[in-house]
Amino acid sequence: MTTKPIRGLERYYEYRERWKAIISDMEKSPVPNPALLALFRLFLENDEKTIDCAENNKPFLSSWYGNAPEIYAAMGIHYICVVDNLLAHQSFTDDLAGIDANIVPDDMCGLIKLGAYAVEKGLVPTPTGMIAMLEPCDAQSVLHESWINNDAWKDVPYFALDPAYRSGKEDFEYFVGELRRMIAFLENLTGIKLDWNRLREVIEETNKQYEIWDEYNQLRRAVPCPGGSFQGSGIGWAISQHIMAGHPGATDLFRMLLADEESRYKANKGWLEKENSRVLWADLIGTVNAPIGEWLEKEHGTVVVQDFQGYTPYSHIDTSTEESMLLGLAKRNLAEVPMIRQARGNVDVFIEDVIRIVEDYKIDCVFFPGHVGHKDQSASVGFLREACRELGVPLLVLTMDIFDPRYLPMDKFTHIVNEFFETHKLGKFK
Amino acid sequence: MNAQFKSTILQDFRKTAANPVNVSLQEWKKSGRKIIGCMYHYIPEEIITAAGMLPYRMKAVGSKGTELSESCFTQINCGFVRHLFDSGVRGELGFIDGLVSVNNCDHIRRFYENWQKKIKTPYMHFMPFPKKSGREQAEVYRKELADFKNSLEKHFNVQITDTKLKKAIELHNETRRLQRELYELRKKKNPPITGADVHAVMVASSSMPKEKYNTMLTGLLEELYTGEGISDYSERIMVVGGELDDPKFIEVIESQGCLVVADSLGYGYRAIAEDVDTDIEPLTALAEYHVLKRPACPRIFGTTFNRNDFVRHIAEEFKVDGVISVRLPLCDEWSFEQVNLIGYLKKHGIPHLTLDIDYILSSTGQIKTRSQAFLETISGTKHGR
Ligand code: SF4
Ligand code: SF4
Repeated sequence: MTTKPIRGLERYYEYRERWKAIISDMEKSPVPNPALLALFRLFLENDEKTIDCAENNKPFLSSWYGNAPEIYAAMGIHYICVVDNLLAHQSFTDDLAGIDANIVPDDMCGLIKLGAYAVEKGLVPTPTGMIAMLEPCDAQSVLHESWINNDAWKDVPYFALDPAYRSGKEDFEYFVGELRRMIAFLENLTGIKLDWNRLREVIEETNKQYEIWDEYNQLRRAVPCPGGSFQGSGIGWAISQHIMAGHPGATDLFRMLLADEESRYKANKGWLEKENSRVLWADLIGTVNAPIGEWLEKEHGTVVVQDFQGYTPYSHIDTSTEESMLLGLAKRNLAEVPMIRQARGNVDVFIEDVIRIVEDYKIDCVFFPGHVGHKDQSASVGFLREACRELGVPLLVLTMDIFDPRYLPMDKFTHIVNEFFETHKLGKFK
Repeated sequence: MNAQFKSTILQDFRKTAANPVNVSLQEWKKSGRKIIGCMYHYIPEEIITAAGMLPYRMKAVGSKGTELSESCFTQINCGFVRHLFDSGVRGELGFIDGLVSVNNCDHIRRFYENWQKKIKTPYMHFMPFPKKSGREQAEVYRKELADFKNSLEKHFNVQITDTKLKKAIELHNETRRLQRELYELRKKKNPPITGADVHAVMVASSSMPKEKYNTMLTGLLEELYTGEGISDYSERIMVVGGELDDPKFIEVIESQGCLVVADSLGYGYRAIAEDVDTDIEPLTALAEYHVLKRPACPRIFGTTFNRNDFVRHIAEEFKVDGVISVRLPLCDEWSFEQVNLIGYLKKHGIPHLTLDIDYILSSTGQIKTRSQAFLETISGTKHGR
């Protein structure tokens, strides 16, 4: 008797095998990169959990960053973000070609197109429940809406967290109310009761993680920068948002990142032998960033010292009471998680962050990728120009899709940057 | 296919819809009264009316370009917002004394801030609007409305009493009632008015004093009741979309021989399907109307099912042969709406065409070609070809 394959798991088996092969190869290497090895092990563990849940009817959620995953973690409910594996495995799949054939308008964010495609094509298992994210962009909300309109997901119970727009006391309190309603939904859905002591433990672990991440960031202020372009951002984001919140393995990984950077910092060594220029990438990093970072370093002796994904001024959450924990989570998820931080609400945070980063990290120029999905940021370009003018730093405004390298091909990108650097005597022209 | 009219009422509505400024606005302004620009449909215009001012739905009809918006926006921003900003910088909307906006979409929320910085209308107010619909959200919005009312009172030194609010709600409800009457006529086998003209009548309501509008619409309805119906059309079509304010796109579709008899548009049926409650406290009634009662646009999460049913229900009631849904390029909110609607209408056997149209229709060739092909398909199916 053959059993019917579970929708979406085929892809996950593929991911699992790929992680295993990569890990095994790395383990055999004479100089394995311990941080990467730890990261891939966390990814593998996460995918194995997803497979286990889907195969054995254990509850698991579809969620997105900024939805207070600390709460699901405290309840022991596993969760996935539909797009994380698609991004991590992008170079091994033909998903980008797949999104072209989809009927979703091509003027949307690549991440959204991938998310729609994944559910449509059954590349993710159908979750037990969904926590929808309605911020920071319009596209997020309608992507989640499209999922509940999909035949495979139409019966998935869902809860949507309504974000407040402002960041005042009342707004956070309103979001606390939303978190409480989410907890009630989850308890009802899974029959699991939230253990507030466990939540305290999870939050305390994440507090530790964000403190280390912050220390790591502080070191990047040094000239020359002791870490590589986009280094902590990619890893930090993945392990703080896509791995079960408060995972001690993630804390260890943050420590490794810090130790590695600290060793160079203490020896007064930069990531590059000669650092010509320091860049702020004023947006998230996507799948285009690794080759961009490498090229900037090699060709121009330039390090992307900070970006919005790595710039994470998380505040410590007071775990003394239920209320203080929820309030802390409301603040963290509404006003600190990257991208939500800069895109939700009015333009001030975006501009203040640019100003602060430029000053604190001794930035020589700002790259604004003009990500096609970030309609709010594109409409903030006037504010950004003015801020950069006042700061006296050159600004490069691009238009790209940070999740689709085809939008602005690398040769065009390098050409634009070369011209920009030559004009402003930066990079190798310094 | 135009029906003949004795009076000039329809012409006046057409003219009003086709221009940002109109005679009624000028008269209003001349008499020293204020005009408040409203960004989109979640603004409770009744509060503005109750303050003795005129709510004006912001539009850039007839805009010639977007050059002056380019320092603040990029090519990935929606054409509506860029044209509107350009008009603002040019001073073409200089007659507004205030601007009130919600965070309707990512383009609009930044539009507001850019406007605040560059154009500096004397009174400006921003209200966050919830992204989902529920009791708690209606309560939150009610607080916003109270703040809005207070700020209007303070800035313009006026008093907005509950009595005035109730009266304003009744006035706006009357507008909606008359507009529904107009829509009823479209159900006829031979409707007495084209879809483009109905759209002009609807758009005009957003830039005129309501009393005058209601009088004119009453007059028009009288004519329509006795007028001749339009019979020389092929298919009955419904259009679905957002805040499209230019009747021209319907005119282009109808130029292919069909008649647009129904819609689910921001200026159309979605705006009039429900009334604001008059039996409860006015601000609560207004908040509930916008958050819970009126048919939502895709801006509000979790509303597709109701909206799709709404479309089907209207399609059946108005006996339409096909649905054309339109979206402005770069509008994320209406992106998946098209996708969701495709599946839904297919399931219910309703022919459907999706179109991306520019805010200012400079070239109409593509719309014509695609509409024509669509109409031919419907006609082929109807006649068993
Ligand atoms: S990357 Fe930006 S545009 Fe894309 S989903 Fe995230 S917030 Fe939205
Ligand atoms: S058409 Fe869409 S993007 Fe443009 S203003 Fe309206 S909701 Fe926003």
